[in-house]
Amino acid sequence: MKSLKSTLLALTALVGAAGLTAEEVTLFGWSEYVPQAVLDGFTAETGIKVNFETFSSNEELLSKLVAGGGAYDVIQPSDYAAEVMIRRKMLAPLDRTKLPGLRHLGDEFRRLPHDPDGGFTVPYMTGTVGIVVNTEVVKDEIKGYADVFQAKFRNRLVVLNDNRELVAWVLKTQGKSANDVSPANLAAVRPVLAEWIKLVKVFDSDSPKTALLNGDVDLGIVWSGEAAILWNENKKFQYVIPAEGAHQFVDVLAIPANARNKEAAHRLIDYILRPEVSKIVSENFPYTNPNLAARKLLTADELANPASYPTGGQLETFRDIGAVAARIDQLVTDLKSSQ
Amino acid sequence: MIAWLAAFVVVPAAILFVYSFCERDEIGGVIFSFTLENYTRVFDPIYLRIFVRSIGYAGLTTLICVVVGYPVAYYIARAPEARRHRLLLLVMVPFWTSFLIRTYAWITILKQEGLLNAVLQSFNLVGEPLSLLYTPTAVVIGLVYAYLPFMILPIYASAEKLDHALVEAAHDLGAGPVRAFSSVIVPLTMPGIAAGTLLVFVPAIGMFAITDLMGGAKVPMIGNVIQNQFLQARDWPFGAALGVVFLAMFALTYVVLQRRGAAVSS
Repeated sequence: MKSLKSTLLALTALVGAAGLTAEEVTLFGWSEYVPQAVLDGFTAETGIKVNFETFSSNEELLSKLVAGGGAYDVIQPSDYAAEVMIRRKMLAPLDRTKLPGLRHLGDEFRRLPHDPDGGFTVPYMTGTVGIVVNTEVVKDEIKGYADVFQAKFRNRLVVLNDNRELVAWVLKTQGKSANDVSPANLAAVRPVLAEWIKLVKVFDSDSPKTALLNGDVDLGIVWSGEAAILWNENKKFQYVIPAEGAHQFVDVLAIPANARNKEAAHRLIDYILRPEVSKIVSENFPYTNPNLAARKLLTADELANPASYPTGGQLETFRDIGAVAARIDQLVTDLKSSQ
Repeated sequence: MIAWLAAFVVVPAAILFVYSFCERDEIGGVIFSFTLENYTRVFDPIYLRIFVRSIGYAGLTTLICVVVGYPVAYYIARAPEARRHRLLLLVMVPFWTSFLIRTYAWITILKQEGLLNAVLQSFNLVGEPLSLLYTPTAVVIGLVYAYLPFMILPIYASAEKLDHALVEAAHDLGAGPVRAFSSVIVPLTMPGIAAGTLLVFVPAIGMFAITDLMGGAKVPMIGNVIQNQFLQARDWPFGAALGVVFLAMFALTYVVLQRRGAAVSS
């Protein structure tokens, strides 16, 4: 009996001790976007264990949060997803005094339309959606979407498998905002997109670089990070910001309103804002780093990558379009299936 | 068993059924107000055409699986016991590797600068490299590859139980090999063919990974459409309605096959 009691006591002590020492923070982030070295470095310095869970699209993130699954301390939505979360009061306001690293961010990445006061989100990495040209095969000058979607490039194209992106490119070509998805505008998009879709060989959002590397296609409209990796692989892959205007995405860090450990969440965000930490992110995932102090630590070669740090071009971020997403899905599904 | 069925089959199906009559809110949540709109959308020509196409692909896949899988299964069933076990193991070995990795392996085989084109060109069988990847052919190859074992195993199970004396009797009564095969062997292994057909046809209709990876996501299948509703379009009620119709179709296929199976064996 006594031994049972002492065992129970010992167990309680053990559980208590475990609860005390192992402070945890749960990060819900994009797959292939947060280097393990960053998380390990944070744990080594603070003793806070990072549980890292991943998603592969904003929609998946939103679905999980709306369905109420999971308790996350830090999440990593893109701009438009953060916007809808702010509106639905799903994010906790940030305590800026706990985030001194905010001073490293470039001015053009503050007060973006999705979070005009910067009170809820901290930019992590940003990028663009642009054109990759295999210049060994394609000798024409490619400036914009209209040059890509030509009959002579039929079956030589890879584009993102993302219905909203496709619609946005047509809108840009027609001189409209990527966010102006009124029924009239979508009706005007339809005939153009129907022709474009027929030319495409591969739709791939996860790894569009594969088809280009394999030589199955010669032109692509892809995430700039993918293009940056292609350029590192072989300089024949040139990146072009479409002349008609391009989509810029800003992936942010934010704290959900129901986060359990907001203190540790702030510490993790500020840790990532450190120039020497943010540099590790850039090295692994060559998107555009909004952290100017971190950029100073990059090599000349990394900074010269035209996909990571493009010059010029009209950039526009996506805004939340609510239920129109379902209509766009129907439109593109219809066009793809009736070709 | 009943509790297990309730937890993993009935409850999820019931949730799907309830969702299919709901509406979507602006963020993609589900609003519990009754509507039939999702079902009217399912029968929109857009989605009907995709349904029909998916059935076509799955049907072709099943047919090829029967034609390719039947001889293999029959051969294994007739092999001596020690060898039979080794052959069966070989059929199952691919399952030890992740399905996605095996699909990527096919990509390296079929791509323009891939293995197959390299072999064909080195033997001067083709001048220009063939464009195989990202075509409907590639999708069917991927589907057949993925589901062939599901056809072989049930046919093997039937063929193994086949009493060879019956085949010999057929020969003694003057039946040639074709006649013995079509009038004796096939009817006796029909339960295996039916089970294999069900195991291949049903999942092949709903497959979305292969059409994305090997078909270049060019031509949507019903599996892709449903997947999109739960992710990109964030329209769970519509996705649920598609799922319910899908489920009803499977139930129907099953009943038809059961009846035919019963008719054949009686």
